[in-house]
Amino acid sequence: MKSKRLLAGPYLFWSVSFVIIPLLVIVYYAFTSDEGTFTLANLSQITTPENLKALGISLLLSFISTLVCLILAYPLAMILSQKQVNQTSFIVLIFILPMWMNFLLRTMAWQTLLEKNGVINSILGFLHLPALEIINTPYAIILGMVYNFLPFMVLPIYNVLIKIDPNVLNAARDLGANPVQTFLKVTFPLSIPGVISGITMVFVPALTTFVISDLLGGGKILLIGNVIEQSFKQNSNWHVGSGLSLVLMIFIIASMALVAKYDKGEGGTAF
Amino acid sequence: MIRKFLQKLYLALIFIILYAPIVTLMVLSFNQSKTRAKWGGFTLKWYKELFQNEQIMSAFYTTLIISFVAAAAATIIGTAAAIAIQGMKQRWRTFYMGVTNIPMMNAEIVMGVSLMLLFIAFRMKMGFGTILIAHITFNIPYVILSVAPKLKQTNRHVYEAALDLGASPLEAFFKVVFPDIVPGVMSGFMLAFTMSLDDFVITHFTKGPGIDTLSTKIYTEVRKGIKPEIYALSTIMFVTVLVLLILINYSPEEKEDTKTKKKRAKKPSKVKKILLRRVIPVTICVLFLFGGFYYSRESNVMNSDKVVVYNWGEYLDPEVLTMFEEETGIDVVYEEFETNEILYPKISSGAIAYDVICPSDYMIQRMIKNDLLAEINFDNIPNIKNIGKDYMEQSRQFDPENKYSVPYCWGTVGILYNKTMVKEPVTSWSILWDEKYKDNILMQDSVRDAFGVTLKYLGYSLNSTDLDELTEARDLLIEQKPLVQAYVIDQVRDKMIGNEAAIGVIYSGEAIYTQMENPDLEYVIPEEGSNIWIDSWVIPKNAENKENGEKFINFLCRPDIALKNFEYITYSTPNVEARKLIEDDAVRNSKIAFPDLSQYENLETFQYMGTEADQTYGELWNQVKSH
Repeated sequence: MKSKRLLAGPYLFWSVSFVIIPLLVIVYYAFTSDEGTFTLANLSQITTPENLKALGISLLLSFISTLVCLILAYPLAMILSQKQVNQTSFIVLIFILPMWMNFLLRTMAWQTLLEKNGVINSILGFLHLPALEIINTPYAIILGMVYNFLPFMVLPIYNVLIKIDPNVLNAARDLGANPVQTFLKVTFPLSIPGVISGITMVFVPALTTFVISDLLGGGKILLIGNVIEQSFKQNSNWHVGSGLSLVLMIFIIASMALVAKYDKGEGGTAF
Repeated sequence: MIRKFLQKLYLALIFIILYAPIVTLMVLSFNQSKTRAKWGGFTLKWYKELFQNEQIMSAFYTTLIISFVAAAAATIIGTAAAIAIQGMKQRWRTFYMGVTNIPMMNAEIVMGVSLMLLFIAFRMKMGFGTILIAHITFNIPYVILSVAPKLKQTNRHVYEAALDLGASPLEAFFKVVFPDIVPGVMSGFMLAFTMSLDDFVITHFTKGPGIDTLSTKIYTEVRKGIKPEIYALSTIMFVTVLVLLILINYSPEEKEDTKTKKKRAKKPSKVKKILLRRVIPVTICVLFLFGGFYYSRESNVMNSDKVVVYNWGEYLDPEVLTMFEEETGIDVVYEEFETNEILYPKISSGAIAYDVICPSDYMIQRMIKNDLLAEINFDNIPNIKNIGKDYMEQSRQFDPENKYSVPYCWGTVGILYNKTMVKEPVTSWSILWDEKYKDNILMQDSVRDAFGVTLKYLGYSLNSTDLDELTEARDLLIEQKPLVQAYVIDQVRDKMIGNEAAIGVIYSGEAIYTQMENPDLEYVIPEEGSNIWIDSWVIPKNAENKENGEKFINFLCRPDIALKNFEYITYSTPNVEARKLIEDDAVRNSKIAFPDLSQYENLETFQYMGTEADQTYGELWNQVKSH
């Protein structure tokens, strides 16, 4: 047992050196002013109306995106998990494959697709259908988030689903459960760990993104990620940027703690 | 049956959504026209030019190597950690998972900056090593999060049974536990590799001069539009991976089942199988590997005599670099940035010793003020005589004694409008507030430019620090917001060419290019006045090859070289001798490229206003953006 714990050694060393210490640097910046004196002014920046609004919109959009991803990904993962093994690995890779084209390029390609005179509207116009006008709106941002982060939801859920013992499902059926009951009482509870991983992997990048809102939102919707990016890049004010990132982290940790609590409760009854 | 059909339909729909952008990018790689907004006919020339573009190819191979090494290291560390964490008591497990989640929860930019600060504090040389460390750091959590759910599902009793039956812990692990978690490990590796391949922000902050990944290369190009060669490269990458997948997954075995092939003897099919599943994939991999050696060797021939140049993205004809190397024997390490604000911390921190950089006016002023620049020895730059007197005079606004800077490009900020959509004559900034053009206006997405335009419209100085004037400008910008289609920087160009909007605020250098692509566009400097800017070459104080830097600047001031650059980037050159060499009369006398400055009295240069004013501007701009 002891030797097993040693396996975490390299990771511990790595995390302390390259995650925790740099984080302390950020904390230091967050609590000091330009002159190096202690201050809470950077943290309190979050209470300005515009920053609060940005945080609110970010939470809303990332929540919706996570939900949409979950709704789209779960059936997908189920369908995939029922395929034959050899074919599956192929299909799964097909889902990761788009990520091999650069993220910036893919998001810019959506611009070309969604624009007023873009590809989709040309096709719709040709079919005499009403034009799709979502570029530079929050809908386009949600689309961008769902598109970019969907694979992060599909993969963990899929990974958990293929591990579920078919005998468990058969047993449930033998005991008289209908497909819906089997899903709700057996499959879904067993897949919770994957769902949790998926939610983490989608929610967090969605909450902190600034590129997607820039490219697809027309720069008209300010997310908290944009605010932080601006304070680092445009205003060159690392103290405020650090302060805001610290607040953002607290938000994420809080919401994840909430999710994790749910995980434990459900997981306990499932096994 | 219906269920099967619905499943297929669902899969198909998701595939279409996933691949629509990919197909778009592939189509763009065959586009004759350089801009994504216009289809100029089919061509293969970008593929040909791709392989001659050493910068892109070496960036590509750097990306592959970093992604692979980082993903492999992260997979080993992460899998080991996940196994250890699984066996821990609840409290420790929570602690470790907490640590794991930090990099995922942190905004990427925070992680990038914090790592950069760390590397600077320990005086580590920014480059391949620091990028690798950063990538491993953000990759590990992906591996752990992929492996952990798998481990949760493994049955402990099986492992213990193996131990009871006499297996050593190591044996038990590799024979019993490991096969169960392999899919998790594999998907962890794949995710890590893919994340590395895709990462931009963190790489950007942790990289040093002369090293680029595909992402950082692409991002620097965003300012002037993506080079079609990049589309070509992406297409090749994508198709290669796809072909590999198909070959590995669809062996002839399956085809054998079909009646036509049943007659065939078994032997040739086996050969075919080996050929398809092993030989071809291996050949492709070897080809890629050798390509990597070839291009990395090309880029790594490091002469002791070098010059480290840091310039705007797409702001110099690459051929000029080759010419300089050939003529002087000095190697150029060339790197690109995208905004003055990104450039500044890199110079002020002294993390990297650049020899020549190209900031804009107000940033040069800031650097002079903070004692970051070295005085240029003009004895080494005789070609300075080719730079027009007017421009040297203009430079005095930020470099009062002309000691630190040599003008490279200059221009104005103005309105670009589409003559088919705007029928009235455009003379004033007021058109940006005209209800008629609701949703047809493109505004600059940068604090100084947006406020500069508005302050000028109000009749104030664009360097105003008066809070009342600034508040007035902010209110006007908020009023304008419902009319704005999008706040953009680089994309004005593509959007205007593609007839997406009627009016856009744009730099004059871009206007010349957009007019070539779309003759309906017209550029005008509004009568209220505007911003006139100069980007100049300067030498940082910590430059290690100052003389080579001066040689480089001198080379760029040569008329034929300045002309070459002008033709490539279309930004106005202050080099009067070069202007005389322009063959096309229309361009040489273009009012856009070379406006008669005596006609405009109210053109101003941006001044550096101090951190306090910077902050005020930033806050007011945030209020506009979040309104």
